[in-house]
Amino acid sequence: MRDSTANPVGTSNPSMSFWDSEKLSPNMFAYLLMIPAAVVMFGVVVYPFFYNVVLSFSNMSLRHFKDWHIIGCRQYAQVFSGKIFYTVFFKTIVWTFVNIFFHVTIGVSLALILNKRLFGKAAIRTLLILPWAIPQVIVALTWRSMFNYEYGAINLFIAHFLGMSPVEWLGKPLEAFSACIITNVWLGFPFMMTIALGGLQSIPQELYEAADIDGASAWQKFWSVTVPLLKPVMIPAITLGIIWTFNNVNIIWLVSNGGEPSDQTHILVSYVYKAAFNLYRYGYAAALSMVIFAILLTFSLVFLKRTRASEAVY
Amino acid sequence: MRYNGDRRPETGDRKSVLAAVMILFSCFRTSASRLRFPFLLLLFSLFLSSCAKSTLDDPHQIVIWHQMRPDERVVLKQVLDKYMEANPGLKITALYKETEELRSGFQIAAIGGAGPDIVFGPSDDVGPFQVMQIILPLDMLFSKEYLSQFNPKALVYSHGHLYQIADRIGNHLMLLYNKALLPTPPKTMDQLIAFGEKFTRAPNYYGLVWNYTEPYFFIPFLTGYGGWVMDSLGNPTLDTPAMVSALKFMKALRDRYRIIPKSCDYETADALFKEGKAAMIINGPWSFGDYKKAGINFGVTRIPYITETGRWPAPMVSPLGYLVNASVPEWKIPEVIKLVKFLLSPEVQLEFTSHFDTIPTRIKLYDDPAVRDNPIVEQSEYQMEVGRPMPIIPELRAVWDAMRPSYQAVLGGTESSEQAAKQMQKSAIEKIKEMNE
Amino acid sequence: MNSKFKIRNSKLRILNLVLYFLLIGFTLAVLYPIVNVLSISLRPADRLLSTSLKIIPEGATFDAYRTLFTQTPFLLWFWNSSLIAAAVTITGVALASTAGYAFSRFNFYGKKSAMVGLLVTQMFPPTMLLLPMYIMLLKLHLINSYFGIIIIYTSTALPFCVWQMKGYYDTIPFSLEESARIDGSTRWGAFRRIVLPLAAPALVITALFSFMTAWAEYVVAAQVLQDTSLFTLPLGLKQFEASMSTQWGLYAAGSLIVSIPAVALFLFLSRWLISGLTLGSVKG
Repeated sequence: MRDSTANPVGTSNPSMSFWDSEKLSPNMFAYLLMIPAAVVMFGVVVYPFFYNVVLSFSNMSLRHFKDWHIIGCRQYAQVFSGKIFYTVFFKTIVWTFVNIFFHVTIGVSLALILNKRLFGKAAIRTLLILPWAIPQVIVALTWRSMFNYEYGAINLFIAHFLGMSPVEWLGKPLEAFSACIITNVWLGFPFMMTIALGGLQSIPQELYEAADIDGASAWQKFWSVTVPLLKPVMIPAITLGIIWTFNNVNIIWLVSNGGEPSDQTHILVSYVYKAAFNLYRYGYAAALSMVIFAILLTFSLVFLKRTRASEAVY
Repeated sequence: MRYNGDRRPETGDRKSVLAAVMILFSCFRTSASRLRFPFLLLLFSLFLSSCAKSTLDDPHQIVIWHQMRPDERVVLKQVLDKYMEANPGLKITALYKETEELRSGFQIAAIGGAGPDIVFGPSDDVGPFQVMQIILPLDMLFSKEYLSQFNPKALVYSHGHLYQIADRIGNHLMLLYNKALLPTPPKTMDQLIAFGEKFTRAPNYYGLVWNYTEPYFFIPFLTGYGGWVMDSLGNPTLDTPAMVSALKFMKALRDRYRIIPKSCDYETADALFKEGKAAMIINGPWSFGDYKKAGINFGVTRIPYITETGRWPAPMVSPLGYLVNASVPEWKIPEVIKLVKFLLSPEVQLEFTSHFDTIPTRIKLYDDPAVRDNPIVEQSEYQMEVGRPMPIIPELRAVWDAMRPSYQAVLGGTESSEQAAKQMQKSAIEKIKEMNE
Repeated sequence: MNSKFKIRNSKLRILNLVLYFLLIGFTLAVLYPIVNVLSISLRPADRLLSTSLKIIPEGATFDAYRTLFTQTPFLLWFWNSSLIAAAVTITGVALASTAGYAFSRFNFYGKKSAMVGLLVTQMFPPTMLLLPMYIMLLKLHLINSYFGIIIIYTSTALPFCVWQMKGYYDTIPFSLEESARIDGSTRWGAFRRIVLPLAAPALVITALFSFMTAWAEYVVAAQVLQDTSLFTLPLGLKQFEASMSTQWGLYAAGSLIVSIPAVALFLFLSRWLISGLTLGSVKG
C-alpha cells in the first residue's frame, strides 16, 4: 500500500501542473481541497441568511405582505418583551439537553457493547439503526398512538407489568412533553451509535494493552483511553446534535399534535413556524429566528472552545 | 386508483443526474489530476438540462393545488384526463397539499411570484390571501349570468369582490350513527345522553365519540348554547355565558355522564367508530367514504338539539372551491378560467356528488334525481339548514389559536370554564392585534 | 493459574450475559414501534389506531403492498429518490473527505473561522430559510429541477460530514503520511492511498449521513418539485395523506419499504465501519 512505484499521480504530464499537488504550497493544496465544499456552502447559505436579516428589521406581516418596509428593531423588542419567549426558551433548553444526554449515553454504550466480540452482534447492530432509517412521520404517529390513554401499549405496560396507574400522556403538559422527548430519544440514538462505532475503530488496540500492563481497571481504561480518543469524532456530532435538536420542529409537532395540550409543549422553532405561517408575522418570525441563531452561535463558540474540538489530538 | 397525473414524463432531468452520478463516481476513483474536465462537464450538463422556470409561465401546463382526499383524487384525475384529451398539448398537474402546507407553501411561492395557477380548498384561506393580495378577484372574469346559475352560498366574497367559486357546499359536522348499534338516532341531547349511559361500557364501548381536542368540533356546542366566535365586525365574542355553559356541558358529557372516552383525538374516535365500538360520531362529509369502505352501515342526521336551550347545534358551514393565483400572467388567464369553468360544470359536480354525497352548487342540479333522492345528501342538507357560514376573515385564525389552549386546559382540568372563557377572549384580542400590526 | 483463569472466565460470562440482556432489551424497544407500523400496514380500512394490541390485526391483508406496487407510481418515486440520494452521497463524500483533510492537516489562514462558519450554517431555523431558498432557486430557474435540490441537500449534509471527517483524520497519526512522503509519494497520493483507506469508518458515516439527508427529506422537496413525474419517495408517501382521511395502510407499507434501502446501505457499509483495517494493524 505504501509502495511508491505504484504512484499514478506522476509529474510527467506538464499540462496538468496546476493540479499537481507537489508544486503547490501546502496552504494552496489545502485551499484547493476545500474550495468545492466552500463554494456550495457559500452559495446556498449566504443569500437566505441575509434575506432573513433584512426581514427581521421589517414589518412584513399579513397587512404588509407585499408592501413591507424597514422599521428598525421593533420586532426584536417584541421578541424580548413577551413573557412567552422566556418560558419557551427554558423548555427548549430542557428539550435539547435531555435529548442529547440520552442520545449520547445510549448511543455510546451500545457502540461499546457492539464493539465487543459477541455472537449475533451484526444482526443486532443492523436492527438498532432502524429508527434512523424509517421515515419519521409514521413512527412519530405510531408513538403517539402508543401513548394513548386507554389503548396505548405504554399505559398497558405500565398497568400490567409495573402495577402503576396509567398516565395521561397526551392530555397533560409535562407528560406530553416527556412523550415528545421519549419519541425523539428513540429516533436519535442510532445516529450517535453509528458515529461512536466509527470512532471506536480509530483507537489502537495497543493503547488498551498498555493500560492492561499498567493494571488499569475497565473504568480507568474507559476514561483515559476511550473517551479522549472518541472525542474528536463525537464532539462535532454532539455540537451539531445540539443545534439540530434545538431547531427540530417535527417531532414536537407530530407527537403533541402542534403543541397540545394548550400550546404547552412548544419549543422556540415551533413558535417561529406558528408566527410565520399561521399568524403571518414574517418580520417577527425572522427576528425570533435571528435570536435563536445568536443563542446557538454563542453556545457553540463556548462549547467548542471548552472542548478544543478544532485542534488535533496528536 | 392511479396517482400519476403526468402524461409526458420528462426524463431529461433524471438522465442528466444519473450521468452526473456516474461521472462523479468515476472522478473519485481516478486521481485528482484528471478531476477537472469531468467536473466542469458535469456542472455544465446538469445546469443546461435542468433549468426550469416557474410553471406559471408555461403555456402548456396548468398546476392545481388541492385538498382532496385520496378517493376524490381518483375522480379528479378522471375528470382532468377527459379535459386534457379534449385539449391536446395541455398538461394539468394536480398536487395534493395538506392544509398547513398549502397555506405556507402558497405564501412562499406567492412572494416569489410563482406557485400553482389554481387552488382548490375550503373558504378558510380566502380571508388572509385576499388581504395579502395573492389571489385574483374573479368578478370581471365571470358574467353575472354565469354566476346566477350558482347557489349564492357558493360565491365567496371578501371586501366586495368575488374570490372563490365553490363546487360543493357543506364541510360541516353532523351526527353519524352506526345503524347496527342504534336503529333510530336521538333527537335531543337528553335522549342522546340516556342512550349513551345505557350503551357505554368503558373502555370498550362508547355512546358517542368525536375529536373533542379540536375547537372546530366544539362549535356546534357553542352555538347550541347561543354563542358564536365573533361579531359582525370581526371582534371575538368568546367570553360569554354561552361559552361557559357549552364548556361545562362538554365536560359533563365526559366526567358526569361518562358517555365519551376520557381522551379522544380524531384518530381514536375514528378507530372506535370503524371498529363498531362507538354508536355515534360527530364528523363531517369527508369521512363518509372511509366508513363505507370499513363496512359500517351508518346513517346521518342533525346533531340533537340541546334540551336546556331548545336550540339546534349549528356547525360551521363552508364552501369548497377554486381560487386563482394573482401571479398568473395576463395572457394565461383565459386558459385558466376555461379550466375552472369546466371543473365547476354540472357534469363534473354530479360526478363528485354521485361518488361522495357532496352537496353541489349548481342550482339546476338540485332537481336531479341523483341529488334529490340521495338520503345522505338530504340529511346533510338538513343539518346544513341550521349551520352558520364560516367567517371569511383572517382574524378567524387568531380566534382558533386563542381558543385551543384554554379549551384543552378545561378538558385537562387545569382551568375552570369561566377562567377559560376569559382567557380565550383576552388571548384572541392580543393575537388579532399582533396579526394586524 | 488455572483457577484464576476460570474465575476470570466465569466473570466474563456473567458480564456477557448482562450485556446480552441489555442489547436484547434495547432491540425489543426499537422493534416494537416498527412492528406497530407493520401492523398498520396490514390493517384493513386504514386505521392508524387500534384498540387491540394484536400485532397481526383481524382481517390482515397485504392489499396495501399490492396497491403500492401495482396502482401507484411507487417505483418511479423510488427511482427518483435513489438518483438524488446517490448524487448527494457521492458529492458529499467527495467534498467532505477532501475538505476535512485540509482542515485536519493544514494550518492556513481562516481555518478556524471557516470551521465555525460551517457550523453557523446549521444554526438558523430551517423553517425560515425555506422562503429565501425558494426565491433564490426561482431566480436561478432551478424550480422543478433535481439540480437545485441536490445542491441544497449537499449543503445541508456537508457541515456535519466535513467536521466529522476532520475529527476522524485527527486521530490518524501524521507520521503515516510523512513516511509515505519519504517513500516518494506525492501529497495527494499520501492522502488517497494512506489516509483515505484508514478513514473508511468515517467515510461510511459521511456516506450514510448524506444518503439519509437526501433520502427522507420532505419540506424542501415539496416546495421545489411541482411535477408528479419528479416526485421523490417522501413526496409520494405524502400523497397518501389527507386531512382526516389518510390511507394509513399505504402510508405504513410505503414507510417500511422506504427504510429498506437505508438499512441495506448500512449493512453493506458496515463492513468498513467496523473494518478490520484498524490503525493498530497498519501502524506496526
